[in-house]
Amino acid sequence: MKTALRVFAILCLLIAAGVWVATRTPSSPFDGRPASAEISIEKGAYAARLADCVACHTAEGGAPFAGGLAMAVPMLGAIYSTNITSDKLTGVGDWTLAEFDNAVRRGVGRDGRRLYPAMPYPSYAKMDDAEVEQLYAYFTRHVDPVAAPNRPSEIPAPMNTRWPLAFWNAVFSPDKPYTPDTSKSDAWNRGAYLVQGPGHCGSCHTPRGVAMQEQSLDESSDAYLSGALLDGWYAPSLRGDPGIGLADWSEDDIVAYLRDGRNRHGVVFGSMLEAFNNSTQFMTDADLSAMAVYLKSLGPSSQNRRTIVTYDRADILRPADDAGAWIYATRCATCHGADGKGRAPSIPPLAGVSSMLADSPESAINVTLNGGGRLVKGGLPDLYRMPQMRASLTDAEIAQVLTYARGAWGNTGGAVDPKKVRELRNTTDPASSEVIILQMR
Amino acid sequence: MKLIVNGEQHELDIEQDAPLLWVIREELGLTGTKYGCGLAQCGACTVLVDGMAVRSCVTPVSSVDGASITTIEAVEQDEVGARVVEAWVRHQVPQCGYCQSGQVMAATALFKQNMNPDETDVQVAMTNYCRCGTYNAISEAIASIKEA
Amino acid sequence: MTGHQPLQPRALVMSRRGLLGGMGALALGVALSPRISLAQATGQAPADTPNPLEAILELRPDGTVFLQMPYVEGGQATSTAMAQLVGEELDLDPAMFTVECAPPLPAYVVPGTRRTTGGSSSVRRSYMPMRKLGATARAMLIQAAAARLAVPGAELATEPGRVIHPSSGRSLGYGELARAAAELPVPATPELRSPEQFRWIGKPVARIDGRDKSTGRTRYSIDVSMEGMLLASVKHAPRLGMQVRRLLNEDAVRAMRGVHSVHALAGCVAVVADRWWRANRAVEALQVEWSEAAEPGRFVMRADFSTAKAREEMRTADGPRYNAEDIGDAEGVLAAADKVVEAVYDVPFVSHAQIEPPSATASWNDAEGTLEIWLPNQAPDRFIKMISDASGIDPSKITLHSPTLGGFFGRHFVYPHSSPFPQAVALTRAVGRPVKLIWSREQEFLRDAPRPLGMARMRASIGADGMPTALKIEAVCDSLVASMGAAREAADPTAVEGLAERVYQFKNRKVDHIAYRYPVVVGALRSVGHSLNDFFMESFVDEMADAGGIDPLEWRRRMVSDSARHLALLDHVVEMSGGWRRGPYTAGDGTKRARGIAMASPFGSETATIAEVSIRDGEVQVHDIWTVIDPGRIVNPTSVRMQMQGGTALGLSLLLSEGLEFEHGKAVARNYDGYPMMAPYRMPRVHVGIIESGAEMGGVGEIGVPGGMSAAANAVARLSGERPRSLPLSKTRFAAGA
Ligand code: FES
Ligand code: FES
Repeated sequence: MKTALRVFAILCLLIAAGVWVATRTPSSPFDGRPASAEISIEKGAYAARLADCVACHTAEGGAPFAGGLAMAVPMLGAIYSTNITSDKLTGVGDWTLAEFDNAVRRGVGRDGRRLYPAMPYPSYAKMDDAEVEQLYAYFTRHVDPVAAPNRPSEIPAPMNTRWPLAFWNAVFSPDKPYTPDTSKSDAWNRGAYLVQGPGHCGSCHTPRGVAMQEQSLDESSDAYLSGALLDGWYAPSLRGDPGIGLADWSEDDIVAYLRDGRNRHGVVFGSMLEAFNNSTQFMTDADLSAMAVYLKSLGPSSQNRRTIVTYDRADILRPADDAGAWIYATRCATCHGADGKGRAPSIPPLAGVSSMLADSPESAINVTLNGGGRLVKGGLPDLYRMPQMRASLTDAEIAQVLTYARGAWGNTGGAVDPKKVRELRNTTDPASSEVIILQMR
Repeated sequence: MKLIVNGEQHELDIEQDAPLLWVIREELGLTGTKYGCGLAQCGACTVLVDGMAVRSCVTPVSSVDGASITTIEAVEQDEVGARVVEAWVRHQVPQCGYCQSGQVMAATALFKQNMNPDETDVQVAMTNYCRCGTYNAISEAIASIKEA
Repeated sequence: MTGHQPLQPRALVMSRRGLLGGMGALALGVALSPRISLAQATGQAPADTPNPLEAILELRPDGTVFLQMPYVEGGQATSTAMAQLVGEELDLDPAMFTVECAPPLPAYVVPGTRRTTGGSSSVRRSYMPMRKLGATARAMLIQAAAARLAVPGAELATEPGRVIHPSSGRSLGYGELARAAAELPVPATPELRSPEQFRWIGKPVARIDGRDKSTGRTRYSIDVSMEGMLLASVKHAPRLGMQVRRLLNEDAVRAMRGVHSVHALAGCVAVVADRWWRANRAVEALQVEWSEAAEPGRFVMRADFSTAKAREEMRTADGPRYNAEDIGDAEGVLAAADKVVEAVYDVPFVSHAQIEPPSATASWNDAEGTLEIWLPNQAPDRFIKMISDASGIDPSKITLHSPTLGGFFGRHFVYPHSSPFPQAVALTRAVGRPVKLIWSREQEFLRDAPRPLGMARMRASIGADGMPTALKIEAVCDSLVASMGAAREAADPTAVEGLAERVYQFKNRKVDHIAYRYPVVVGALRSVGHSLNDFFMESFVDEMADAGGIDPLEWRRRMVSDSARHLALLDHVVEMSGGWRRGPYTAGDGTKRARGIAMASPFGSETATIAEVSIRDGEVQVHDIWTVIDPGRIVNPTSVRMQMQGGTALGLSLLLSEGLEFEHGKAVARNYDGYPMMAPYRMPRVHVGIIESGAEMGGVGEIGVPGGMSAAANAVARLSGERPRSLPLSKTRFAAGA
């Protein structure tokens, strides 16, 4: 009896503590502190570019930052990004800096409700106070107010209960900003800050654990940025993995990729195209170099197969002997070349690139089915884009041609299953041929 | 940038990523090479780059810097090209004719590599669309070149 | 344009008075030799000079002929046929002809012909008029020679290009006689050759444009160049009816290299630049805020329009209903019948997808108030009126050139919002320089007028003998003629052609057109209604035959038993294909195959077609097509064969892979990648048979479309056991057959 009572008492305590954790508004360094008066629009805009706020908080054809972009949560339904314009009623116009900070770095809304981690606050948690203040100033003072009520999520009860996220946060989200490693260079530290913090590269490139958390949020584990599958795209390793990672990329290659959207190894596509169009191209060369320094310091991951790529022209199959080779010759070779070398930097090679080497064929399938979106640099649209093949090739044909390309020229990506093609055909849409430029103001 | 087209060298002040098709048509005024889709789908823009068929609409001009480019205007100066043209005329291939510059260039590239192509070689080389549907006549013309 | 004055203008031009006997008041100019003096005076080659004499037929001093025909050449080999017809009677080798489309002026009207190129009508309509034209010129040359040689005309004859006096062995070239001939009175009734004497008509004369087209020398609209010309590209509103509200980055775009100016026009934005690719990239970069159409209208595209939804609605759509054919008592017989077959078929919108994208080069001369314009079009006189109406410029101040078309298939007819000329005219006026506007392929896909989305709801009753006793068809689709501006409270003939008035002898039959309106400007595609209706009809014929347990060839024989012409067609195609075997059977290469048969009667011609197919990995492979055409009489067997093969290719492409879908009011496909046409390697061998039955001449250009596709569909049904009722077939994976 006594024991039972004790257990009951402990349970009560735990629940009380739990309720406290789940509903309390966390503290912010800005609590009770007014926002600084003078933060220039340029500074704010740069912070918003670093964090790529526009990509999620602007709906297609909608006003900048008015929210409403649908994001599918696997197996649950859609959630909609929120209005972060300066509108006082529906946006963040009359939020305090502390309230704003709690949303950005701790995933807690103004009403104490937990945000879905579609908002990358576990990464943003690493942002420093100054960055947060710049964002705050930008959205509350420089972005025009747009009255657009937030759209409730379409996740049905009871899955829509959000307080358990507080526990998720307690376990998976860091609680303090990035701390520099004094043993490393300034550039390395700046790069680490950008990659881990506002750049939130790990959101796509770090594999997730059972609770959908990123397996690591910094270089302490070699799972960090070791490549991951998300939304039908395989985001390759950003570590020193050969082939599927950046082992063969120089720092200049990385800078060029993030600044121009293309380099001798490839052209941005899929989700990276959006990150490029809206974010990385706006970063300063110094910041891009810093990111390159940091990324190049990450060794290969023990989680990845060692993919040693040697370009081999001799092992390609003859079109007469292989259906995949035949399709490649008739549909792909005109741009990517019979030798798989493409016409870099305008048209990417297929020999030795991550999508043709990774175990996950998703990116290769997705871009083949749906084509590439439009790369826009400095307002200037690309002249060359990947056509979609979903209308002209069957699932089996796409599987055949990718099996061929992932095995030709020394590629070791492995065969592609038509069922996987079918699956992605049904869950993805063709990329738009329209030039989409998301304006920030 | 230096461009060698039909044996003539041209010095051009042009963007690195300008499509070869438009450089040929607009800078050099050679309009025999046609625009159909700009997306490597139709083949109307096919030219030869060092003897190989290339869809010029998806060829950044910088990527052919220094290469030798042949357009339909000079195809008859090539021995193989001249044979292809003769076969095209003899077999009455063209209808509207708009796709035919590209078809002739594709066939020329095919035969420059191999005077006796098999069925697969032909299928792989002759992928240009013809909305008029001259495919049977193209096959006949190609067969006649093989036999010749 | 008018810089060159002929030295003796009036004397050399034949008057525009009655020229061809018995055809009423005529407006025809035939200049026989203006260019001797012209060429000498200007030092220019005759071909470079304009044609101030408004001559339809111009015999040049070198003995060649420049013919300005009423039609537009776009691949049909009409220009070669005209050279054959005129050359036959003029006695001049067709190879000596240069043929172009005449300007849209009354002076160029050849009586008996039309100025619209379409309906597979050019050659058959001009068969006699063009021959008379040639015969007239020949008679005048003979007369001139008679005077020169001082012998009676009756003693003279001609051989190609020369008038000869056989008894003396003297002869004169046409070139030498042209000038004198031009001054003679025009004979009222020139004598025509009898068909047994034909050297060029009915013979496989080589295309006169074959070499130019094999060497890139033919100039299309897109190749036009003018002094001081700028280039333009547009971006259309995503949905028809929307207008430009605001440009967000106009300054940035104007600052791009080569950009001359940025323009907001009706329903689109345009960038004018020094190069087209720069204009195009700039206009793509232009950020536009569009506003919805102020009010709903016939062609205001609704944001909620989708082909999937339209198809659903069409299944049950009930009106407005217009009857097209009603013979006997189809409803009554069907109601009382024991055995009824029913089927619903549908086909999608399809694009013209001609490889030359639309363009327009316009040059506005402000001082003189004149406009010169090059425009792909298949009806110059209708277009000049449209241009005048749209621009307010008097037709007499407009010079319209109609160059060779890089394919058209019905694309360049008068559909609202589908021609680039209004934009080009607005731009040349705005910038004060000539402007060549080219629609990118993406912009063309947004404004092409597709072939209508269509559906047929079919019901038939089968009698005890297995043959049908009644047939009722409801054709559900928009009205094409209404789309082109003709308000109509009746069945649209293009909606029911191929369904109504078929040769099959149904005692009770009823065909209704249910006009289902969609907010899409639809257009005529090669073979028009036949491109869908023959597929519906010939598929259902096989379904009726199968239901009655009758072989489909036998069924067709019985249903055309009164017509020797049709029986002969069937016999011919069966013989050509090596005897009728429906299959399935195993071919030499081990594949399972089957054959299908179909008849069609498009544009006054009759066809019967057999197709052989197999199925590989669920996909249809068409191996051979045997098709026989009886157009009554022909002018050029090679052209006929090529047109049949080309038409068959288009039809098979519609069968196998084409379809333009709309979602949220927008066409999903914006380029060929989203709109797959049949890949070249899938083209079957098409064997063409020609019967000249002597019947009234029918068309050729569009005739090949329906037969092959319908026969192949029947073969697929036979082989797979699944009846294809919804196109394209690429939507379905077929079983390889038992
Ligand atoms: S224009 Fe180059 S392939 Fe179509
Ligand atoms: S000849 Fe007309 S598109 Fe090929």
